[in-house]
Amino acid sequence: MNTQLRKAVRDLTYSSKRSLTVVFALLLGIWGVGTVGIAYSILTHDLQENYLRTLPAHAVFTSSDFDTQDTPRLLSLPEIESAEFRDFSLHRIEVRPNVWIPLWLYSVDDFSDIKLARIFHQEGAATPEKGSILIERDGKNVSVIRNGSIVNVRIGSSVKTVKVSGICFDPGQAPATQDAFIYAYTDPQTYQQITGLLTHRRIIVRFRNVHSAEEVEQKVHLLTDVLQRSGVKVQSIDIPRFNEHPHQWQLNTLLFLIGAIGLLAFLMGAVLVSQLVRSMLVSHVRQIGILKAIGASRFQIFRMYIFVLLVIGAMAGGIAIPLASVSGQAFAGFVAGKLNFDILTKTVPVQVYLYLLLLSLFLPVLLSLGVIVRGTKIAIRIALSDYGIVQQTKWSNYPLLRRLKLSEAWIMAIRNAQRSKRRLVVTVLTMALGVAIFCTGFNVRQSLWNLLEGQKDELRYDVQVVLDKPVSRQKALQPFQKLTNVKTIEMWVGGRGEIQSKVVATTKGVGIVALPAKTQRLHMKILQGRWLQVSKKVEVVINQQAWALYNHPEIGSSFDLTIGNKICHVTLVGIAEQFEKPKIYLDIAHYDNLVNPSHLINTLVFVAKENRYDQVMALKKEIESTISSSDLNVVYVMSQAERVRIIYAHLNIILTTILILSFLVLVVSAVGMASATSINIWERTREIGVLRAIGATSAQIYSLFVREGFLISIISVLLGLIIAYPLSQLAALFFGNLMLGQNSILAYAFSIPGFLITLVVTLLFGWLASRIPARSAIAISTRQALVYE
Amino acid sequence: MIYLEGVTKTFHSSERSYTALKTISLIIQSAEYLAIVGKSGSGKSTLLNMIAGIDHPTEGIIRINDTQLNELNEDQLARWRGKNIGIVFQFFQLIPTLTIRENLLLAMEFVNVIPRSQQETRAITLLTQVGIADQADKMPASLSGGQQQRAAIARALANDPPVILADEPTGNLDSKTAASVHQIFQELAENGKTVIVVTHEKDTSLKYQRTIWLADGEIVTPPVNEIIA
Repeated sequence: MNTQLRKAVRDLTYSSKRSLTVVFALLLGIWGVGTVGIAYSILTHDLQENYLRTLPAHAVFTSSDFDTQDTPRLLSLPEIESAEFRDFSLHRIEVRPNVWIPLWLYSVDDFSDIKLARIFHQEGAATPEKGSILIERDGKNVSVIRNGSIVNVRIGSSVKTVKVSGICFDPGQAPATQDAFIYAYTDPQTYQQITGLLTHRRIIVRFRNVHSAEEVEQKVHLLTDVLQRSGVKVQSIDIPRFNEHPHQWQLNTLLFLIGAIGLLAFLMGAVLVSQLVRSMLVSHVRQIGILKAIGASRFQIFRMYIFVLLVIGAMAGGIAIPLASVSGQAFAGFVAGKLNFDILTKTVPVQVYLYLLLLSLFLPVLLSLGVIVRGTKIAIRIALSDYGIVQQTKWSNYPLLRRLKLSEAWIMAIRNAQRSKRRLVVTVLTMALGVAIFCTGFNVRQSLWNLLEGQKDELRYDVQVVLDKPVSRQKALQPFQKLTNVKTIEMWVGGRGEIQSKVVATTKGVGIVALPAKTQRLHMKILQGRWLQVSKKVEVVINQQAWALYNHPEIGSSFDLTIGNKICHVTLVGIAEQFEKPKIYLDIAHYDNLVNPSHLINTLVFVAKENRYDQVMALKKEIESTISSSDLNVVYVMSQAERVRIIYAHLNIILTTILILSFLVLVVSAVGMASATSINIWERTREIGVLRAIGATSAQIYSLFVREGFLISIISVLLGLIIAYPLSQLAALFFGNLMLGQNSILAYAFSIPGFLITLVVTLLFGWLASRIPARSAIAISTRQALVYE
Repeated sequence: MIYLEGVTKTFHSSERSYTALKTISLIIQSAEYLAIVGKSGSGKSTLLNMIAGIDHPTEGIIRINDTQLNELNEDQLARWRGKNIGIVFQFFQLIPTLTIRENLLLAMEFVNVIPRSQQETRAITLLTQVGIADQADKMPASLSGGQQQRAAIARALANDPPVILADEPTGNLDSKTAASVHQIFQELAENGKTVIVVTHEKDTSLKYQRTIWLADGEIVTPPVNEIIA
């Protein structure tokens, strides 16, 4: 190794603490970016790949005529890639003693040759034994059901006992943990035995050569024509989102979050590295002068510092890239677990590592190029007479500080903090950004909590029972007469309907809920217009998901609504905020007049007299017990508390990620502040000697630097909180749109606990960030400080 | 030969302008051992910087042998300086992260006039010449002031430059060590090097072949007592 390289290496080892800080800062940045990059590359590929490898169905047709026709022949159109009967019905399954949740039961003709909407074997039988079912693996997370369990399944009013003979994996379904469902699969014969329903009523179809939802729609029309011409009356057609997993929105949110925060952390890390390299060069100014004086050209000096930076980059990358590989894959695994899909990427693409390596090596060089060019350009005379940081500000706040009657130590701390204004601005901005993001994390979390609280407030009942088909009010009410902890029971009815003249994704339309216009049981937040009133004309309120689905109709607009076979003319009077699928609400009186002359109902909502959590759960169990001894066919019984828990489960992964990532940003910004304080100390080493020489004690010098850090923290917190306000509003808008539908604003909320935590954590970090370098400042002896170059 | 004609150097700052050298004209012959003497602020270090090509004159011409310094850019100056000038500073200015030997090697590597195969040998020869060969592998911080200054002289000689410039080379040394440093300079001059030493010493007549007195940026004539405070 020649002497120039040897010098470069010695420069690194000579100021080992400083070098390690630069390496650490870079390592942190590369690690963050690497984690995000690796997780991103896995997740963007794998959820889609998981979903697509099931060969998802493009459309689902239901008809009771399939059996009467030569269906296989009808489905042998060249446009159809594959089609299978996949009957489906919704029941209930006991997941723990007296705890029932919905069971989505599917019938599969041939488990050994599933051509589309495939499921994958996990444990036990791949094809269910006769009389048994397979359950989807995520169901194990919401139940005590395992392979070999004997489970109770409620079919209408009867309970049947079924064996679970295997566990399978269906990446095409929404995760059971989040939706509190269990998916089960069986053969047609067992399906018929368990449910008592006829099979071959539902066909799933996958078309050949389709690349968009529009192309699917065209093929659906074509197939519908063929079926109808052949005498098959299609009762419903369902078109799932084209090539999109049901929970793709969650992944999109997460990817956006980790991408945005990762980028921020990276930028902050980049600023940090650039600051540190700048400070390193500042401390080398005199050496640059000496090197030039003994004949070094600018290029030779430039080359030496580039080598130093490459060594720093290699060290940081050498540690950060393997760490990022582990943490990126772990994070991807965590998300995959939450969304119930498998990590298929066994090895991260080499180019991801290559990019990270290039980033490690060249980022510090790129960030420092300007500084190095300027540093090597410095005139020898100026370089040789460099004595470190000087007072750059002409602006003097001394009289003001005097008037404030601050002590000399505080005045010095304030003036010292201003000495390198550029660094002060960068440090404060970095820290403020960290504070703003951390605080925004809490505020968005608060907004989501408020949404959940709003949901509680919206549904002013404690337990909801939904029947599989409408029954008379008397029949529905009769079993519940003897319940003790019930204040009132209100009855609703619902079905499906569709607003005409708009193309929507399903001919089954959206959910219709018919309820008393003056109901006290539902109190939704109205975004536009008003809630239902008793009126001669038929009024409807739609939630914002339906509003987006129907392309934002105006309040007061009228349109035709198809319910069953009837078309009625309705007027839109309000848009309600709801974390739900698209829904249309109308007065039950009008609904009964139009399509329900027998005044049947299919929903009962119970209000408990005593509504503590345990009392509501006891009421729910009592209701379950009553249902089991009645002949009511129930789809589900759900308490409000459980409903909120399901919504929370959907949001929890996002909330957790927000907090973890925003905390990381705050840590990066604290490291930034620590490094800025360290730089201040390095640059003022000689001054420390002077202070000591004129009698300053270690405690006084220590307190001087800690005061500076405290001042910067205070300014950063204040600025951060100011930035957090618009940032939180933007974040609320973004998440609102993503989770609640277009144009849905998640209301801005200020989190007081979040504010206090931000304040405490930031000041603590600020204190630590100045304490550590301040301690190293007092470790320097007077002699060392005075001869420091 | 070093030739200066009408050299003026004015420093400008936002508050004021300050002329450190005022139309200095001077000829220094080869192998001359010369002292530039003056009190603090007289312009002696500025003059030395002009000769070293460290700083540019505001006006005037500086020619050293056949090279007119005003015509060279920074990199050309650096290369020229490496080959032609050896500089010794008051505070030694050794690279603290390199050993004494490496300090010499670095200077030779930058300029590359000494064949690489001979650099190691030359470093030891020079260190022997200044009497610190046994300190070759030590870090500068572990050497005494006198030893560091000897090392700095050895480094200045690394590329065998014809001119040695020394800025207060003994200002930080005790009188005995200072004497030994002067001895080295004297021997260098005897061996054909031009040695220019900036100093504020009062009694220079016995040590140097010639003394140039500077006051307020101008060459003046002694009496010494009026010049040196």
